[in-house]
Amino acid sequence: MKEKVAGAIRQALESGRAGAVLFLAEEEGKLIPRLVRDAGDPAIERAYVGDKRFPASAFAAISLPAVDGVLAVVGRECDRRMMNELAKLNHLDLERVLLLGIPCSQELADACGCDHPVPPEPVAEAEVRPAEALDAPSRSMDIPERLAYWMDHFSRCIRCYGCRNSCPLCVCKDCALEREELAGKDCFPPDIPVFHIIRALDMADRCIDCGICELSCPADIPLRELYREVRGLFKEHFGYEPGISAEDRSPLSFLGEAADLGAHE
Amino acid sequence: MAEANGRRNTADEDIRILAFLCNWCSYAGADLAGVSRLQYPAQVLDVRVMCTGTISPYFVIKAFQEGMDGVIVAGCHIGDCHYLKGNYMTAKRFQFLQRALEVFGIEKERLRLEWVSAAEGEKFANLIRDFTRTISELGPSPLRQGRKEVAVR
Ligand code: SF4
Ligand code: SF4
Ligand code: FES
Repeated sequence: MKEKVAGAIRQALESGRAGAVLFLAEEEGKLIPRLVRDAGDPAIERAYVGDKRFPASAFAAISLPAVDGVLAVVGRECDRRMMNELAKLNHLDLERVLLLGIPCSQELADACGCDHPVPPEPVAEAEVRPAEALDAPSRSMDIPERLAYWMDHFSRCIRCYGCRNSCPLCVCKDCALEREELAGKDCFPPDIPVFHIIRALDMADRCIDCGICELSCPADIPLRELYREVRGLFKEHFGYEPGISAEDRSPLSFLGEAADLGAHE
Repeated sequence: MAEANGRRNTADEDIRILAFLCNWCSYAGADLAGVSRLQYPAQVLDVRVMCTGTISPYFVIKAFQEGMDGVIVAGCHIGDCHYLKGNYMTAKRFQFLQRALEVFGIEKERLRLEWVSAAEGEKFANLIRDFTRTISELGPSPLRQGRKEVAVR
């Protein structure tokens, strides 16, 4: 796998398909994002293909202005989805990025409960089965139990903003979670559940289920379960799922006729 | 205050309801209900907005956070919005929010979406009566009891 990825990086640069390549390199036991412009760069040998994840798309959006032409990015299917969503938010020009897709390992797919572990046209083929969805304990609860479940988790929140800051798709300049009148006074624990519900509602048509927020949360709040539940509902209600394609637009992003007015016609 | 509004207090005193009403239709409908001296419960606090399309779902959540037991969003009928399609957005947002409330553990009946025109004073009064009954049956919002009781299991 490692050779194939290194080969794909070199090939992208030599063929002129990409002006630069972004990937995670393993250096002295640490993982460091590298932007490489020369096929002879020794960092390419150290390209990392293990199970650790990082939001390549966020780095791509940051690096793009420093790149001439196309930026190739070594990433997973999650990264492809992040890029699609970032493009919809006008944060990334898809014409200028090229994904060198790597499949996830079976272990990672199982741990993530991922049903899409292999990106389209991966640089190396792999036999990885879509995993079973993860447990969502809140789903089988009745309404009062569910509130107690979430409040119990939310009450541990220290308002570090780790979830928001690490999320590759939280890009608004003016964040509702910082508004005192919505989320309570800053520097204090947030008002709950409003803080988490606001974020969950905004993620319903944006979250691509990469799980990075949950990895970042020091309070171990099952954020991914929360966002999965609202996202699943959004899909059921509107038939829209974020990330899959760059063309579809969330029904909540335009006024138009496409609204299903249902009983409220 | 109940007297000042000319409304009679019928339902449970404790229930608090917030109603977002669009300026052009539902607020005028509420006004008509008042002018026509229709009786309806007084636990409703009105918030006049220019169009229901300006209401963010955040406001509804925040209303529950601040102790409201039920929230009404009422605006012009589809096709009558004074900003043409503001209420298309309202329909999408709040039909979804109703269902999403359940994901968080809040009964979806606590949020009501309704179209009330300026001529529908009767409909407005009925809406308030009916909704107040629904909320009285559900009881005070569990969020209102404060995070302490709810948070500690
Ligand atoms: S899983 Fe978390 S970090 Fe990833 S897109 Fe969704 S909200 Fe953002
Ligand atoms: S990362 Fe966890 S503790 Fe930090 S603000 Fe988000 S939910 Fe709260
Ligand atoms: S003006 Fe009444 S809903 Fe838009």
